[in-house]
Amino acid sequence: MATDSQQRRWSRIGVFAITLLVLLLARIWFLQAVTKDETEQVIRNVQSRVVKLIPERGRIFDVNGRIVADNKRVLIAAIDRRIIADPQDRLEMFKRLSGPLNTPIERLYTRAEDKRYNELTEMPLAFDISEEQAAFLMERIEDYPGVAIKEEWRRIYPYGAIGSHVIGFLGAIQKDSAAYYKSLGYDPNERVGLYGVELTYEVDLRGVPGFVRYEVDAVGRIKSVLERVEPQAGNDIQLSIDFRLQQFAEQALETQLLVRQRNEAPKVMLPEGIPDPRYEEINYYKAPAGSIVVMNHNTGEVVAMASYPRFDARWFTANVDADKFAQVFPQTDDPDRSILVNRAVSGRYNLGSSFKPFVAYAALNSGQLPGGAGYEFDDRGTYKLESIPKDRCDQGVKCVFRNAICRATGAPCRYGKVDVEEALAVSSDTFFYKIGEQILTERGYQPVLETEIRRFGFGSPTNIDLPFEFAGTIPNAAYKKYLGSIGAIAEDEGRAYYVGDNVLFSIGQGLLSATPLQMANAYAAIANGGTVFEPRVVRAVLTPGTRNKSSGLADLPNASVARRISEETGKSVIPMRPDVREPLVSGLRRVITGPGVDFDYYHKTTGENLFRNYSGMPIAGKTGTAQGFNNLPWNDSSAFGAFSVDATQPYSAFAYLEKAGYGAVAAAPVVKCMFLALGKQWRVDDLVPADPLDVASNLPAMSTRLRNPLCLVSSSLDARD
Amino acid sequence: MAITFRVRQRPSDPRGSASVLDPWRNIDWSMISAIFALAIIGGFNIYSTTSPRLVLRGVDAFYFTQRQVIFLIAATFALFAVMFVGHDWLRGKAMWFYFPTTFSLLILWLWSYTSGDTKLSFDLGPIAVQPAELMKPVLVLVLAAWFAEAGVKSLPYDEFVRALVLAGIPFALVFFQPDLGSAMTLAAGVFGVLVIAGTQRRHFIGVTVLAAGTFAASIWSGLVRDYQLERFTALWNQNNTTDTSLQNLVLQVRYAKRAVAAGGYFGKGYMQGELTNGRFIPVQSTDFPFSAIGEQFGLVGCLVVIGLFAFVMFRIWIVGRNANSPFGRFIVAGVFTTLAWQVFQNIGMTIGITPVSGLPLPFISYGGSHLVAWAIMIGLVQSVEMRRSA
Repeated sequence: MATDSQQRRWSRIGVFAITLLVLLLARIWFLQAVTKDETEQVIRNVQSRVVKLIPERGRIFDVNGRIVADNKRVLIAAIDRRIIADPQDRLEMFKRLSGPLNTPIERLYTRAEDKRYNELTEMPLAFDISEEQAAFLMERIEDYPGVAIKEEWRRIYPYGAIGSHVIGFLGAIQKDSAAYYKSLGYDPNERVGLYGVELTYEVDLRGVPGFVRYEVDAVGRIKSVLERVEPQAGNDIQLSIDFRLQQFAEQALETQLLVRQRNEAPKVMLPEGIPDPRYEEINYYKAPAGSIVVMNHNTGEVVAMASYPRFDARWFTANVDADKFAQVFPQTDDPDRSILVNRAVSGRYNLGSSFKPFVAYAALNSGQLPGGAGYEFDDRGTYKLESIPKDRCDQGVKCVFRNAICRATGAPCRYGKVDVEEALAVSSDTFFYKIGEQILTERGYQPVLETEIRRFGFGSPTNIDLPFEFAGTIPNAAYKKYLGSIGAIAEDEGRAYYVGDNVLFSIGQGLLSATPLQMANAYAAIANGGTVFEPRVVRAVLTPGTRNKSSGLADLPNASVARRISEETGKSVIPMRPDVREPLVSGLRRVITGPGVDFDYYHKTTGENLFRNYSGMPIAGKTGTAQGFNNLPWNDSSAFGAFSVDATQPYSAFAYLEKAGYGAVAAAPVVKCMFLALGKQWRVDDLVPADPLDVASNLPAMSTRLRNPLCLVSSSLDARD
Repeated sequence: MAITFRVRQRPSDPRGSASVLDPWRNIDWSMISAIFALAIIGGFNIYSTTSPRLVLRGVDAFYFTQRQVIFLIAATFALFAVMFVGHDWLRGKAMWFYFPTTFSLLILWLWSYTSGDTKLSFDLGPIAVQPAELMKPVLVLVLAAWFAEAGVKSLPYDEFVRALVLAGIPFALVFFQPDLGSAMTLAAGVFGVLVIAGTQRRHFIGVTVLAAGTFAASIWSGLVRDYQLERFTALWNQNNTTDTSLQNLVLQVRYAKRAVAAGGYFGKGYMQGELTNGRFIPVQSTDFPFSAIGEQFGLVGCLVVIGLFAFVMFRIWIVGRNANSPFGRFIVAGVFTTLAWQVFQNIGMTIGITPVSGLPLPFISYGGSHLVAWAIMIGLVQSVEMRRSA
């Protein structure tokens, strides 16, 4: 029935079908027999995805267990950038997400472009979304491909700006430290401490990350958990700072600076005693910045450390954009205005007379003064260098150095015969000028003064556990040469170290500089009889998971200590013989209590007026006025260092108020308030959590003032340093 | 031609017939068995591919499997209905089927053309009817009837052109739907009929050139949607991971291929396929069922399935060769090439040698329309076999 042609045609389509089937079989055989193993390998890799689990960062407590840095768990919605690579898809996805996330489309677009978020990682869509929003998105994940909800920790600082220079803040890993953190196993997009204790104790605070290995399907949805290693929370940290006193210190400092800004600086006088016509207009003190450090001089622990201007660390977690951030924290070259600087450890300050106790120590300890404490010098208001020939003086070399002007006479003060104790009490410059000259000329031009001064830690970092510490400078030949080489001083000037340099050094002026912390630490060494500590703001590193005793308060008595920082604190013991220490202490006591000296008339000590009605713990201290630009009065910076002589209340303090006037009128009142507060003789506000950060404002920190500022006031002004 | 060894008395036959001419004695049960074997494998396969998705959504894991069983029962009715009425009876009604089906394709095309979406089926409540599937038996039937009418040894030119127009209209509608996979399958059926009907070589070359020209022109004029073209581009770029517009297509094929490869010689075992259980392969139950077979049953399973298809084709081929009427021969030829091509194209896209096109694997894929369409085609073939001696 099938003809030949029919047979042929059927054969053709038969061959056609066989060809197709053979093609299929060949390919299937190749896939299954040849590529099986390599395919299985590929499948295994594709199917699992590792997600790093960031541990809860260690919390930071103050000395009494108040939680000053805490963590909050937040939900973050993020999207895989590949999903929104195409502009059309991006618009579509943003339109769809805008509603559920309650975020305008424009904001999503700006965030997609935001340089802060790594191009290679998921793009964050919204921070701190609610559980309901997260559930909404997850239930409809088919409609929102590539969207993921992640849990993250957000750092919170309950007390806002208080202690923020000490606590510090977190931020993205900076370029220069990227390699370091990478070597420690950090993710490039992890947040690390950038400042303060958050930076110095970063490794303790961070904890150990865990991870989850998920089995995922083609769309990236999680099918099951293959492996889970829980992260270990970071160590908690107990500061040595008492945040109530810290708040008080910040209030006292800010209040006093604002007061000083309302004060008129003295007129510039010509030698004839008439006002200089070049400076006729009224000049107010600028008082732009300042700092105070309070230490326990028996342990080296810092009790309070304030720096003004202040900032609120919550700006760093507020997710404000770069422009807003630049408005709040403007870039500035003016050191008076820089905010993110802890002046207590980074301030490069001239010290003025507040440095004199250490010069006195140098003279006594090195045996420079014949008869030691009994040595007397006749102060007639001026000191003429003995080592420089008259003709050199006539050629213009500065040979005559004067005391400060006394208001009663309009001429340099004259104190008559003074010993070390009295010289400190009334702050006789000529007494120290003489030391400055002779400790150089009579010692074969050896740097005896420098050597003695360095014992207190000047000229090198204290190694406090805070970053960006300034080492300070000590005038010597090498430093002058360096300054000359970089053009900071004239090359001629830099060629040698002159007697005049040492004379200025001896009253704390000239090229000497130090930080408030160094000064507080040096006063502490006099107070404790010769121990120079490495100061600390952290008392202990605690094991993770310290419980709360109540809201905002950690249960410190039951916390377990991983490391007690005081046990690691370095210290050096310097010679401090009683015959050296006693005249220093009694001289500094007299600054506070009087009496001054009688010569022509009664000369009060520099602190006598201020402390007349002082009822706090017994203290000894020294004022200082550091001359600023052109020696103009409104550029005078104010310094005051003091320590308690009560062995049961071992506190030392140093305050420095930039461009705020005489030491006795600006810095000393702040220290006075501080000692009243330390002795519980002045009202100290309770610590309450800060109001929410006002992101609409451009203020780095809300202002804080003393509720009762009368401790700052003295009965009459004492216009002498 | 008498086949005496098949003669058997069937006194219980309700029609009381015991003749060798009784068509119900000539059913090719081996072909039907093989097809049911494929359908049962298909059912199990559908359960393995759909249940992980359903479980994930907390829905009845048997949902799609149950529906497929219902479709299979419906298809069985269609099979026996066609066998009962016979291809000769349908010959006179061919146009009755041709026009409504073509019309529904036209509606779908207009719908797709105006809305910009691709619409391939009519949603009728619980089921969706895909006219392109039903067009396959209809076109084979119509063309077979047309050429049988001509009834000459070698097809004259005018008849050839008319047949081409007849086939071209639904082909074009499906092609511009655009549903390239179905269009290719329709073309395969037409090809089978043309070959057996004895098309002259020059006509054949002519139609091939015409088809190529049309294809080129439609791409050039933009009538073929971009995404259809991408399927071809994707075929040559299977390892491309950077072009995002190709990602989905490439990914689909990559996972399908990996699933097949992972099966190895003996497969992972039923319900043990990692990629299948992991829902890695999109539209696996309808478009990529072979990937699940490959992963779960390995080379052995693939050989069984392809062997069953080969056996079914062989039986169809035998029926065609032995058919005593030109009409019957043409029908069988059309069904044969349609089946061969559709099996090749579907398995081929799973293993990465043909472009991705939403085309089901006969008897195995989930779906009602294609099961019914194939039941009709197999019914026609059986009918030819049954009435061979008439």
